[in-house]
Amino acid sequence: MQVFIAQIINGLSLGSIYVLLATGFNLLLLVALIIHFSYPVVVVFSMYIVWVVLNATGNNLLLGILAGVLSSIILNVVSAPIFQKVMKKRGEVDINSTMVVSMGMGFIITDILSHSFNHGFPIAFPENLTGSEPLFRIGLISVQVGQVWSLAIGAIAVSAFFVLLYKTRAGRAFRAIAEDPAGARLVGIPIVKTGIQSYALSGVMGGMSAILIAMLLHSASPGLGDMLAHKVLAVSIVAGLGNLVGGLVVGLALGVIEALIQGYAAGSWSNAIAFVVMLVVILWKPKGLFGIKV
Amino acid sequence: MQNEKTATTAPEGALLKVENLSVSYGHINALKSVSIEVFLGEIVVLIGANGAGKTTLLSSILGITPSQSGTISFDGQRIDKEPVDKIVRKGVCLVPEGRGVFASMTVMDNLLLGAHHNLKNKDKYLKRVFEWFPILEQRKNQVAKTLSGGERQMLAIGRALMSEPKLILVDEPSLGLAPIVVNEIFTILQMLNKEGYTILLSEQNTFKALKVAHRGYVLETGKVTLSGTAQQLLNDPGVKAAYLGA
Ligand SMILES: Nc1ncnc2c1ncn2[C@@H]1O[C@H](COP(=O)(O)OP(=O)(O)OP(=O)(O)O)[C@@H](O)[C@H]1O
Ligand SMILES: [Mg+2]
Repeated sequence: MQVFIAQIINGLSLGSIYVLLATGFNLLLLVALIIHFSYPVVVVFSMYIVWVVLNATGNNLLLGILAGVLSSIILNVVSAPIFQKVMKKRGEVDINSTMVVSMGMGFIITDILSHSFNHGFPIAFPENLTGSEPLFRIGLISVQVGQVWSLAIGAIAVSAFFVLLYKTRAGRAFRAIAEDPAGARLVGIPIVKTGIQSYALSGVMGGMSAILIAMLLHSASPGLGDMLAHKVLAVSIVAGLGNLVGGLVVGLALGVIEALIQGYAAGSWSNAIAFVVMLVVILWKPKGLFGIKV
Repeated sequence: MQNEKTATTAPEGALLKVENLSVSYGHINALKSVSIEVFLGEIVVLIGANGAGKTTLLSSILGITPSQSGTISFDGQRIDKEPVDKIVRKGVCLVPEGRGVFASMTVMDNLLLGAHHNLKNKDKYLKRVFEWFPILEQRKNQVAKTLSGGERQMLAIGRALMSEPKLILVDEPSLGLAPIVVNEIFTILQMLNKEGYTILLSEQNTFKALKVAHRGYVLETGKVTLSGTAQQLLNDPGVKAAYLGA
């Protein structure tokens, strides 16, 4: 029973990161009208920035976190004009071109990470970010402080996002563009400006994810971005592309499934098993569990 | 009735002036050197068959469809190169063909989207819209797809009023509505006009539209072929034969 509870906590904290990443990905899909496959790769790049700043400042947490969030916002916003340039027609999701641009970005970032940081070796985050002592431990399984934090911050961030989406002027504009870009333009919503706001907001969420992933995994490697990118894309497709509530549920579920497999079965098989489960779901419901919203 | 229809302002400068406007989609010339004027306080109707270019003209005025040549001025200023959101801010809004409300958003959200650029005045305008359309107040928390066709048209008009417009472009409001609802919508447009809103309307329901309008233009395959007061058009033998079924 204790193992079960511990793995549920672990799973939810891992899942909350998938949720944040899937939410940022879906927001870009719905409002900026791009398929940013490599969004999680950009997030991993921000993790490296956090690591560099922590190293340079003698582990100043505040500066590290600020650098992570700011770099993520900047990286997202500066990519906006590139995406817009290749999108021939605003108001339509041009999947092919944006996906190619995004994958290209992903390759470049991954290469930079493996050439220019720590000789390509995985980086480790300091204990003052990740927490040294586990909160509690049962046999091989433990719950870390970072896990509890990431769960709490993830929950707050996602709730704040939904409040923003449903209770504010910008959120209303986001929803209008998501439902009908041409109609939103017609009522006078500045499409480009609102699109850039969505890049910035995805950047904020990406920056927070970067911090939370660092707290949770204690390390990062150049290949982490691709691994997360595949999972986030899978979560979004299984949930239904563009379905924010679906992304929330499926993201948490994937985290919990992975943690339970690690707790009770062969941990090294958790990715394979999780993807088999998702494959079955997508064969059963090709439009995702919650329906496509694009 | 006829006397009431006389526009109140003297036509010194037009509120909207479209001059020699040409628009094409690829090699389809949808508008060929079209010129129209709308004066403050008027209801002007664009008459024309399917594909005549009515929607194209209205959407070019709002800045949605780019033009190849010609000019559009509103309130004395060129607007033909301005982005849509700037034109909306200046006081032009469009009630699109087929209503164009956001079906999965609430009535309230739809109305607030109309006021996206002037939310500080939203309470004042909400109050007025709910006076015009009490049904919308009752339905304000319902999503728009649950409304009837007539209610959606009212929502689309209400949303337009939220943007504090001077000129309301209305694209075929009667489309798909029962005759009694059509009458209701036209009465509302007439009342709005008496409140001071200037209206440019596109319609295929020629008789009813000319009954509420002050003036009209006949569009045929992208060209203005005839214009005049509503009464002149109602009496015109060509209009009678082609559009009034007489
Ligand atoms: N997006 C588009 N791409 C290509 N051609 C278009 C487009 N929109 C309109 N057209 C063409 O331009 C011409 C004018 O169309 P428009 O929609 O302005 O006519 P309309 O008078 O509004 O017709 P209706 O009464 O059927 O709404 C038509 O020949 C139409 O096929
Ligand atoms: Mg039309």
